[in-house]
Amino acid sequence: MSKLEVKNLHVAVVDEDKGQEKEILKGVNLTMNTGEIHAIMGPNGTGKSTLSQAIMGNPAYKVTEGDVLLNGKSILELPVDERARAGLFLAMQYPAEIAGVTNVEFMRAAINARRADDDQIPVLEFMKFLDKNLATLDMTDDMVERYLNEGFSGGEKKRNEILQLMMIQPKFAILDEIDSGLDIDALKVVSKGVNAMRGPEFGSLIITHYQRLLNYIVPDTVHVMMDGRIVESGGPELAEKLEAEGYAGVRDDLGIDVKLTDEI
Amino acid sequence: METQAEIDFQSAVSAFSAARNEPDWLQKLRLTMLAKYPELALPKFDKIQYQRWPLTDAHEPAVQASDATALAALDLDYADAKNVLVTFGETVVTTRLDPELAAQGVIFTDIFTAVRDYPELVEKYFMTTAIKPDANRLTAFHAAFLNGGAFLYVPKNVVVKEPIQGYYIQDSTRKQDFIQHVLVVADTNSQVTYAENYATVGTEANLANVVVEVIAADDAHVHFSAVDQFSPATTGYLSRQGNLANDAQLDWAVGMMNDGNVVVDFNTDLVGKGAHAEVKVVAVTTGKQLQGIDTRVTNYGQHTIGHILQHGVILETSSLIFNGVGHIVKGARGSDSQQESRVLMLSTHARGDANPILLIDENDVTAGHAASVGRVDQEQMYYLMSRGIDKKRAERLVIRGFLGNVLTEIPAKRVRDQLTATIERKLENGQKSE
Ligand SMILES: Nc1ncnc2c1ncn2[C@@H]1O[C@H](COP(=O)(O)OP(=O)(O)O)[C@@H](O)[C@H]1O
Repeated sequence: MSKLEVKNLHVAVVDEDKGQEKEILKGVNLTMNTGEIHAIMGPNGTGKSTLSQAIMGNPAYKVTEGDVLLNGKSILELPVDERARAGLFLAMQYPAEIAGVTNVEFMRAAINARRADDDQIPVLEFMKFLDKNLATLDMTDDMVERYLNEGFSGGEKKRNEILQLMMIQPKFAILDEIDSGLDIDALKVVSKGVNAMRGPEFGSLIITHYQRLLNYIVPDTVHVMMDGRIVESGGPELAEKLEAEGYAGVRDDLGIDVKLTDEI
Repeated sequence: METQAEIDFQSAVSAFSAARNEPDWLQKLRLTMLAKYPELALPKFDKIQYQRWPLTDAHEPAVQASDATALAALDLDYADAKNVLVTFGETVVTTRLDPELAAQGVIFTDIFTAVRDYPELVEKYFMTTAIKPDANRLTAFHAAFLNGGAFLYVPKNVVVKEPIQGYYIQDSTRKQDFIQHVLVVADTNSQVTYAENYATVGTEANLANVVVEVIAADDAHVHFSAVDQFSPATTGYLSRQGNLANDAQLDWAVGMMNDGNVVVDFNTDLVGKGAHAEVKVVAVTTGKQLQGIDTRVTNYGQHTIGHILQHGVILETSSLIFNGVGHIVKGARGSDSQQESRVLMLSTHARGDANPILLIDENDVTAGHAASVGRVDQEQMYYLMSRGIDKKRAERLVIRGFLGNVLTEIPAKRVRDQLTATIERKLENGQKSE
């Protein structure tokens, strides 16, 4: 079993227009183990993506206070590639497009980066595993021969993120709004991929604005985030409450003084 | 060793020409240019400073054999190539041409055999059409001291399906000039794919002077790719010249992977109506070298199309200059000139320049340019690294993507794979000091 802990995390970004630092996360606490699925819900602009980027180690996000620990060891000093090799994975909201590098070659490089030089994955084994995962995600072979995310539709990009997740088999996967822009069929396929990963050696932090995704990937724990903090945690029923009352309702119940940019 | 002033070059060049059984016209041309070259000006290229390079310090020409076993160092892979010529220094190592093509009149042979066996045909095209011998000091020097190369001729209406490949290897196991001429003539309505490779064996400091002429007659279609990888100790003048008649098409894809200083004179003249050239260049520059690449397309004929695409990467303390010159002359109505030059800098000590020059002397045309000098995209790096790929490898992947639009243009898979491997090698070397 592995454990991921976020302790009193404060994160700032540099506002490019003003050239000033702006604090986004104001003390986030979160503990999760493999075998568990956690969901973070919250209104737009509340810092959900910032949390996922800070855990993964995006250099644009600056940790000003607090810590992130993997199995008791701080990972804040590790660059992003080392965090990835230590077991973290982030399915991104806006994956980069890289022309000239095929999807399949990229995935093989990612897998081999985790293996010794004299123990690279045999091509046949890799292809078999790839075919199996492609089938789960209803994806065709030509998707993997194409250049990485180049010219992919929004839905194809999301599927491709999940395909990478299934190929790499991380300990913890953060899924940042994997449901945005997906129609119901695509949502089902993506959920099928994540559910296939469920097990004692896998944990996932699912970031979403909407409760809908959680009908397909049922979480063990739901957290509500507002204004850079986790303000409430509970079981799956919390997501339903949010759906019924809206974020404004939860905010008012808790007596939090924040302005929501979009009230659902 | 004798200094240049002590050598009787006139006798030496005459003797060299006689020993090669060259026809009179070539011997005369050599001697005329030998007398003339010191007076001619060096060619000028914007922003490329190479005037002090030792590009005309000739050694005494003499017919010398090279030991082909030394080629093992290069790991050349041409065993199953149907049409191939391999030379090492002045020595022809392998020459193969599909007998069916030979029966159709296709000629592919080393330049000395060509001038002996097809003197009129070579004389008609050799430095007459695409470039003149007295164009500048370096072309005249070239004509005087020429000591290797190839001739490819594709007759009217002949379509060559399999690629024709040339490997021209410089012998720097000793002091010896490498003065190569490749003459490609695609006659009316013919089609051919030609790929060439230059490389060096040995560590001596030598000069390389390469002139390649591609002449595409009416309706001919030539696909030309090249990978140049001269050694760190080689100083080079690399000239490629294209001349296109009516409705001819020439697709160039060139990889500049040299490790030493080179000045590249890359010129295409769209002479005939409707001629079309696509010029693609990739370059990787490392160490302390300078690669100065001047790529020019001139639209003379009406409705001609000239497109230049150059992508380059600079590492360590090296310099890369891309000039893109698009020139539409008066009267070339309905023509199109487009260019894009992009340079990625991986080191703060590198120097890069992407320099677009548009010279438009006709109104009824379309023209455009884009140029940039930038750094590796940080979002792409972050994405690759977030999957566990380390920084250097991620950088190489991003760069390969950046250079990919030229790589995919290279038709022969063998050449393409080899260029990919060369890029990988050069990048790995360049990254060591970072
Ligand atoms: N790279 C960045 N540069 C500047 N501001 C940012 C950056 N990333 C996020 N922000 C700001 O931080 C706040 C939280 O954004 P985000 O984490 O994306 O929220 P959420 O995912 O909850 O919608 C927003 O005000 C957003 O504008």
